[in-house]
Amino acid sequence: MRGNILIVDDEPIILRSCEKTLVPEGFDVETETSPIRALKREDLNRFDIIITDLKMPEMDGMEFIKEVRKSNQEVSILIITGYPSQETLKESLSLKVLDYLPKPFSPSILLEVVTKTMEMKSKVTASESRPAEYTDEMVQRLDEIIDAYKNKPGALIPVLQEAQELFGYLPPVIQKHIARGLRVPVSEVHGVVSFYSFFTMKPKGKHNIKVCLGTACYVKGAEEIMNNLKAGLRIGASGMTEDRKYSVDTVRCLGACGLAPVVVVDKDTHGSVTPVNIMHIVKQYE
Amino acid sequence: MNLYRSSIMLCGGTGCMASGSLKIKEALEEELLNRGLENEVNVVFTGCNGFCAQGPVMTVYPEGIFYEKFMLKDIPEIVEEHFIKGMPVERLMHKDSTTKHPIALMDEIPFFKYQTTWALRNKGLIDPEKMEEYIAREGYLAAAKALFEMTPQEIIEEVKKSGIRGRGGAGFPTGLKWELSAKVDAPLKYIICNGDEGDPGAFMDRSIMEGDPHAVLEGMLIGAKAIGANKGYIYVRAEYPLAVSRLKIAIAQAKEYGLLGDNILNSGFDFDIEISQGAGAFVCGEASALMRSIEGKRGMPRPKFWRSAVKGLWDRPTVLNNVETLANIPQIILRGGDWYRGLGTERSTGTKVFALSGSIKNIGLVEVPMGTPLRKIIFDIGGGIPKGRKFKAVQLGGPSGGCIPESLLDTPVTFEDIQKTGAIVGSGGMVVMDDLNCMVSVSKFFLEFSTEESCGKCTPCRIGNTVLLDLLCKITEGRGEKQDIELIENISKQIINASLCGLGKTSPNPVLTSLRYFKDEFIEHVEQKWCKTGVCKELCTFYIDETKCVGCGACARVCPKKAISGERKKPHHIDQSLCIQCRSCYLKCNFYSIKIGPRAMRESILSNTEAPKGDIADKEAGQ
Repeated sequence: MRGNILIVDDEPIILRSCEKTLVPEGFDVETETSPIRALKREDLNRFDIIITDLKMPEMDGMEFIKEVRKSNQEVSILIITGYPSQETLKESLSLKVLDYLPKPFSPSILLEVVTKTMEMKSKVTASESRPAEYTDEMVQRLDEIIDAYKNKPGALIPVLQEAQELFGYLPPVIQKHIARGLRVPVSEVHGVVSFYSFFTMKPKGKHNIKVCLGTACYVKGAEEIMNNLKAGLRIGASGMTEDRKYSVDTVRCLGACGLAPVVVVDKDTHGSVTPVNIMHIVKQYE
Repeated sequence: MNLYRSSIMLCGGTGCMASGSLKIKEALEEELLNRGLENEVNVVFTGCNGFCAQGPVMTVYPEGIFYEKFMLKDIPEIVEEHFIKGMPVERLMHKDSTTKHPIALMDEIPFFKYQTTWALRNKGLIDPEKMEEYIAREGYLAAAKALFEMTPQEIIEEVKKSGIRGRGGAGFPTGLKWELSAKVDAPLKYIICNGDEGDPGAFMDRSIMEGDPHAVLEGMLIGAKAIGANKGYIYVRAEYPLAVSRLKIAIAQAKEYGLLGDNILNSGFDFDIEISQGAGAFVCGEASALMRSIEGKRGMPRPKFWRSAVKGLWDRPTVLNNVETLANIPQIILRGGDWYRGLGTERSTGTKVFALSGSIKNIGLVEVPMGTPLRKIIFDIGGGIPKGRKFKAVQLGGPSGGCIPESLLDTPVTFEDIQKTGAIVGSGGMVVMDDLNCMVSVSKFFLEFSTEESCGKCTPCRIGNTVLLDLLCKITEGRGEKQDIELIENISKQIINASLCGLGKTSPNPVLTSLRYFKDEFIEHVEQKWCKTGVCKELCTFYIDETKCVGCGACARVCPKKAISGERKKPHHIDQSLCIQCRSCYLKCNFYSIKIGPRAMRESILSNTEAPKGDIADKEAGQ
């Protein structure tokens, strides 16, 4: 079993088709046509993902999500809706909704989104202290950024840069928000995000460590520093420690070759680093 | 205005800032205040001085005394001895590399003595955040001359006469580029400054943008007048935050003084500059990719049906110049094209800034006239190889260039002569490698870079480089076969012929030049499974030459696996079953008693557990 999923939608046919997509892939799927009944379920907290429609006769989907969030901050929520709008998209951001799928969508997209969500969860669940994801003010600030660049040519990259500074990373829901705000296709936003190495879709640790792998640093043993750092901090495949305190990145030449090998922690540049003293440097950042 | 008797030029480049120069500045100012010298001694926080490895560095004027590698605790001593007693502190001066005598004056240190600084003329002399200091050094004189005394045609003629070629790598004549664009009749044109210095190991553009940002603005202003552009962009890497902030300050100052904006100095000419930040893609240094990136798209190059001088950014005529090129323009306008032509050689005129780094004593920025031999740059200015190591190769041109061996060190650095060696001048990164570097691994390093940075648009570059990289991995991991070398040459040629942009066309260069000059090393890797430098872990056996080992035990102490054992003052021994080939002992041994043999040795030692007698590997190598 790959994960517990609850789907809430007033149309049984949607529920059935989602079930058909997810069950063969090993997900344990339960469905509800009524959000009120769903809220009354005693086992509501056992689900990893809740997928919900927005327009339902008994109760609005947003209300439903708010109710769920009152008692459960951990569950991942995805929205499927036949009536996508800027307002609901924005509202969903502040409710920490992970993705927003306009209907109709193909089964493969649903499967991809659910699989990715589960993958993210499995990486995160081990952590004790999850950093605050996004707050209302942050979303408001993002809108201000978008408005400031809206009618300028070439706005996308600066907006993404500022958004990343704000949120620390660019998850799909933020990319969609930016795409709507700037009136460009989501595919274009995602294309740009995935093209440039500066942008990341993975959250960063509290302290981000960048190891320079430029030629001068390489010649002076940067690779060994990287290896020691990864082993010393026990950095996993996600590029981060389990407690999300440190994340490690590589960078292609910081132009500080006189200090090679160079490591940047947050915004401080450290020069002439050795495989031995790297751990001392990193431990200064708590 | 306050007149000072002495000025301290403290370096505020990225390198020295990382060594704590910001705190040193505060401490200096405080100490001067405590001693009542605040009105006599002035502390100026300058741009990059260029002598980065010695950081933090400062020069005290009017004498020109150079201090290096000082720390916070040395500040009271410097103030007491130098500024109160008038006795410069010898302890903190640069020492001659052979005699170890302190050299007091900056101009007498070999690193500075042999340089001719024009693009870097203001380095270490002005505060980059104060426009007045730039103006005091003839700043914006050339812009005024271009705006009021010259027609666009005259500017272009002067630049063409100077013979200056693009400093970014390709070496296209700047005057010609401007002329092409000036001829196009269009209402909107752009001039872009390329500050996307992506070549690993090059940092001259960063230093100019940080240390002398107004020179770049002035060069752009002159270029804009020449081609008739009213809007300019500076495209800077996101990895250079200090350069971005200094450029922003410079632009705001120039606007305030009326040197940017509408109707500049009442000349009727309008010009404005905006900063566009990159987002970490090497390919964006390529002209058409850079323009796509400013437009907010994926930075992928386009086929060159037309030049960007005709159809570039947003399909308007666009001129793209490198930072260093633009920083040279004001001097060319001020002193004339003939003066500039007098520097350098006939076809490669002027001076060029190089970023010396790697295994070399004096790491830093070096500006020399074109045509200076490599040997002079590396050994006279750079001070040669440290720690008694031997020079092996110098890498020019980053991932598009190649490694030049010792036998070609007398090659003069010009666009043509370097091209003949198979490398390129490129943007001017010079990474020196000593005999601890394995050339196969170095080639692999550059290919990893090109493979990762390939934008993926054209197949020869995307797939071809991946296949090349696979082959090199195969060789370094000990699975190499005889035909692989031939295959590498073959695929390289196809990538060069079929790729769309400069990245693909030049990405096999590092492998091809290494194959040309260090073929023996490739063959040893493939046939004898022997990496003589001990870099390729699968291709070496570390052992101790018992005739040379004095039993000092230094190797045993650094061994992370405790694989080395032996009594004090008796020859030590490496346990092959524990050795992980980390090379720590080899680097530590002061008696050259640790040797590297082919992989097969390890197996034979392991099977009959007999320690090797004497110097097998050296004999096999014919040494």
